[in-house]
Amino acid sequence: MMCRIGQQPDPHEAGDEKTSNAAFAALLEDSAEELYEKAPCGYLSTLMDGTIAKINSTLLGWLGLERDAVVGRKRFTDLLTVGGKLYHETHFAPLLRMQGEIGGIALEIKQAGGGRIPVLVSSVVKRGGTGEPLLIRTTVFDARDRRAYEEELLRGRKAAEEARRQAEADRARLQDALAVLQQSLLPHTLPPVPGVETAAYYHTAHPDRLGGDFYDVFPIDGERFGFFLGDVCGKGPQAAAVTSLTRYTLRAAAVHDPDPVSALTTLNKVLHERYTGSGDPRYCTAVFGTLEPDPATGHVAVHLASGGHPPVIVVRADGTADFLPTPGGLLVGILPSARFATATTVLAPGDTLLLYTDGITEARTGEDRTGLYGDEALLAFAAGHAGKPPPVLVEALTVLLHGFGDGLDDDTALLALGAPAPAPDPQTRNSR
Amino acid sequence: MSPLKITARDAATGPVLEIFGELDYFTAGELLELIPTITLQPGRRLVLDLSGMEFCDSSGLSALIAAHQHAQAAQADFALAAVPAHTLRTLRIVGLDQIFPVHPDSDIASGR
Repeated sequence: MMCRIGQQPDPHEAGDEKTSNAAFAALLEDSAEELYEKAPCGYLSTLMDGTIAKINSTLLGWLGLERDAVVGRKRFTDLLTVGGKLYHETHFAPLLRMQGEIGGIALEIKQAGGGRIPVLVSSVVKRGGTGEPLLIRTTVFDARDRRAYEEELLRGRKAAEEARRQAEADRARLQDALAVLQQSLLPHTLPPVPGVETAAYYHTAHPDRLGGDFYDVFPIDGERFGFFLGDVCGKGPQAAAVTSLTRYTLRAAAVHDPDPVSALTTLNKVLHERYTGSGDPRYCTAVFGTLEPDPATGHVAVHLASGGHPPVIVVRADGTADFLPTPGGLLVGILPSARFATATTVLAPGDTLLLYTDGITEARTGEDRTGLYGDEALLAFAAGHAGKPPPVLVEALTVLLHGFGDGLDDDTALLALGAPAPAPDPQTRNSR
Repeated sequence: MSPLKITARDAATGPVLEIFGELDYFTAGELLELIPTITLQPGRRLVLDLSGMEFCDSSGLSALIAAHQHAQAAQADFALAAVPAHTLRTLRIVGLDQIFPVHPDSDIASGR
């Protein structure tokens, strides 16, 4: 037996038989009446009208009531809270009448002291020999522990939902802030320029990523307008900060001196001083220019300077398109003093100046996305839209950009400035 | 697309970094982090060998400029070697060909 120390006795073991028999005998002495009264759940039987005919001590204990005050005097529903009564009338009783039994319904019972106990109630209808309903037998389980557990679960779910709501609100606030910042990088609409037609488009490669391209058109004095377009290196918030600095520096510089080289020189100084030695050099490429429309001829004189930016395209009304070369202009912001290349042209009616960032020429094309769209393709595309007003050209380029799909993984800015073509001569039209 | 790989070796004139793969917005940070760790004596030359570089965007250019600035700060020389045609075109557009000495290969750049 030494080896059995600490182990559960085997009921079939001969030596233990007496002990287990004694235990069974004790159970048998536990009469049915005792079992009913002291059961670990509440029992009650009611007449079909609900009047309580019999109730066990366990349930009376929970209720805090004397048997005399209950049996024959109260109905089952009298034990329930108002909500429980309602639920009993509308669901419990009808289902019980229909099915003859019902189980596991959560209700609350009132205690004499004013407390309430959550319970799970099951009932069954006892029928007579001819099937007529005689009485209802009901068991009542204490569900306080279970309710506490459910409430804990609910609390947990509420906390999780609250956290999710908070996260969504934070996200929405962040996106609003990003949208406002993004708008500060680009003009909402281009101002009207007398004698010049304008159109612009900005393609954002990633909605959540602030862009690094920029453009603007603004009045300088009564006769001249300034414009610029450029591309800040990199992407994201750091690039956007440079974009913002660049845009406002160029606009402020033009107030003092609208000469294109002078404006870019100011920007170069500002960027170089701000970012040199930071270990993370920031620079941009930019074209800055002025427009001087001549109301008498409908011509627009263009003066521009480029700092490391791809050459702009001049689309002539006669169907040709050419780059306006600006070789040797240096990136803006990398050296304390930089050289910028200048160019001039005159737009005759129907001519358009097209500025773009390299997102479009560097777009990856072809099945395997290994080819690049390229400068020559852009030049040919622009020539194909010669004579069209700037909004039509920009719209066509927008369609082209969308056609690149995921081959276009960089932001792209487009700005078209045109001298309006003369309105068709009414006499010419009439003669046709 | 191929990831960026950088190997460093020492030539007679100074360190040579060989760049393989794509140097772009997603990978340029690796080069940016590596640059400050390169020890350069005054008068030595930092060479970036780009013969294995397949793509370079504006972030990549940024990293090249950072390397140039690092060399300048150390009073050392800087040179690019074996620049791919496409990147050379970009360097010309942005005017960097006036600032970065460009050599056909890293042996010439490092004076071997």
